[in-house]
Amino acid sequence: MDWSYILLSALTLASIYGLLAIGISITWSSVGMVNMAYGLTFAVAGYGAWGVAELMVDVDPIITGVAVVAAGIGTGALAGVLVCLMTFIPIHDKPNFPVRGLIATLALSLMGTQILLWIFGPRVKTLPPVFGEWQAEFGAIVLTADKAGALVSSILLLAVTLTWLKSSRRGLEIRAMMMNPHGAAIVGIGVRRTGIYVMALTGALAGLAAVLLCQTYFVSPFSGLTPMIKGVSVALCGGLGSVSGALIAAAILGLNESLTSAYLGGQYVLITQFALIIIILLIRPRGIAGMLDKAREA
Amino acid sequence: MATREVLNVKGLSAGYGPLRVLHDLDLVVYSGERVGLVGLNGHGKSTLFLAIAGLTGWQRGSIRLNGHEVGGTRSQGPGRFTHRVVKLGLALMPQGDEIFTGLTVEEHLDSGAFTPRAWRERAQRKRRVLEIFPPLEKLMATAVGRLSGGERRMVSLGRGLMADASLFLVDEPSLGLAPKISKGVVDALMSVELGDAAMVIAEQNVSLLEGRVNRLIGMHAGKLKGEAAVGLAAQTVREA
Repeated sequence: MDWSYILLSALTLASIYGLLAIGISITWSSVGMVNMAYGLTFAVAGYGAWGVAELMVDVDPIITGVAVVAAGIGTGALAGVLVCLMTFIPIHDKPNFPVRGLIATLALSLMGTQILLWIFGPRVKTLPPVFGEWQAEFGAIVLTADKAGALVSSILLLAVTLTWLKSSRRGLEIRAMMMNPHGAAIVGIGVRRTGIYVMALTGALAGLAAVLLCQTYFVSPFSGLTPMIKGVSVALCGGLGSVSGALIAAAILGLNESLTSAYLGGQYVLITQFALIIIILLIRPRGIAGMLDKAREA
Repeated sequence: MATREVLNVKGLSAGYGPLRVLHDLDLVVYSGERVGLVGLNGHGKSTLFLAIAGLTGWQRGSIRLNGHEVGGTRSQGPGRFTHRVVKLGLALMPQGDEIFTGLTVEEHLDSGAFTPRAWRERAQRKRRVLEIFPPLEKLMATAVGRLSGGERRMVSLGRGLMADASLFLVDEPSLGLAPKISKGVVDALMSVELGDAAMVIAEQNVSLLEGRVNRLIGMHAGKLKGEAAVGLAAQTVREA
């Protein structure tokens, strides 16, 4: 096992987990809901990408790759909006919304998974390699296509997301709502409309993560479960509501995962991962860069 | 300039859960006037403002803002329709500022320009706010969470003034500020050109407002007292 391989797979995993964790983190801090249907969004996006890939026969592989990635992002965004319409809009102003939202999204995710199972059956689907089959060598470092593609596209989408949040008017509304939902209502930011933007955005992130992760794994009705658990735990570890914290936590946990699978074996990954998360949360209960609870309440 | 009713509240009751704070109150505010709303803590000044914005736990009674009904009976969902009220011309400058700690002063002012027109004119509006609160000029790129209490109050009021509003509700502009600073803040509020709009200032310290507002209304136990609601307001119209 050489170090460059470990570092590269750590980076790839970190970028994919980062996408998921940032989606969960933004959802939590702006609309105040832990989105348990994020795994469903992930799986639906995977099937969307697969469906488009099935349509693309005898097409140039570059066009297929672009179409598959776009389909994943698009279906993800669509699924995010649907989740928002079914769980967030009806109950967001009812008492005990955080708990109800958790239950509603969990229920939706269970239902949706069964529906996927019903429509597509339990057999896993594979996505075509969207980034081609090449590899480049830089001295001792071997960069394979799927890793390079995953890194570049997730960094690109993250950069676009963060710039959009920083510079656009909708982004300003979302950030205002992340910092002070009550104040946001006072200046006239519509909670429901912003909720739809947020869920579409995070759905798109989940969609890209689905396409990237399904380069190595498969699309199946339950394929969203593990990524969602990892995304939620990375988000918790980084501190819910903090984008930079989620990135740092994703880097740490990605490194942990590739180290563990290199030295101990893949079956120990979840054990070391959750042990690490528990240790981090014991030392720093609010997560690496989390806001204190007050910030969400105030 | 013809005076018109900016705000007409009739039979408004509001509260939170089992608690009833406002008891059937009536209030008319005309364009171009500054109204002072004075009263002790816990007698419903802030609740009146929140009810106009649709942010109380429950409410009933008619609230007409520029002729549009924004009240009605509502038993839950605080804040659900607030953005519509804001679009119709309400700017609420809340008690305790409700600032967005991580945004810079400039982003903060931008976030106050909610309607499309205010958003287009935001550069111009920001200049106007800076004329009213000159100390903010140097702080435009600073995160609001780093400002002092007085500066935060200016940011919060400035955010309200950014709006394309016809009714400004200012809740306790002097709260938690040193006497000298709170006087400065109230002076700044008095210097705002209202034009066709109206401003209601809730305040505990009567001496800050005395002689500087068109009407002074008392509030006690959820009801309006003193130079209160409709009767005297009608008199204002006769004078005009």
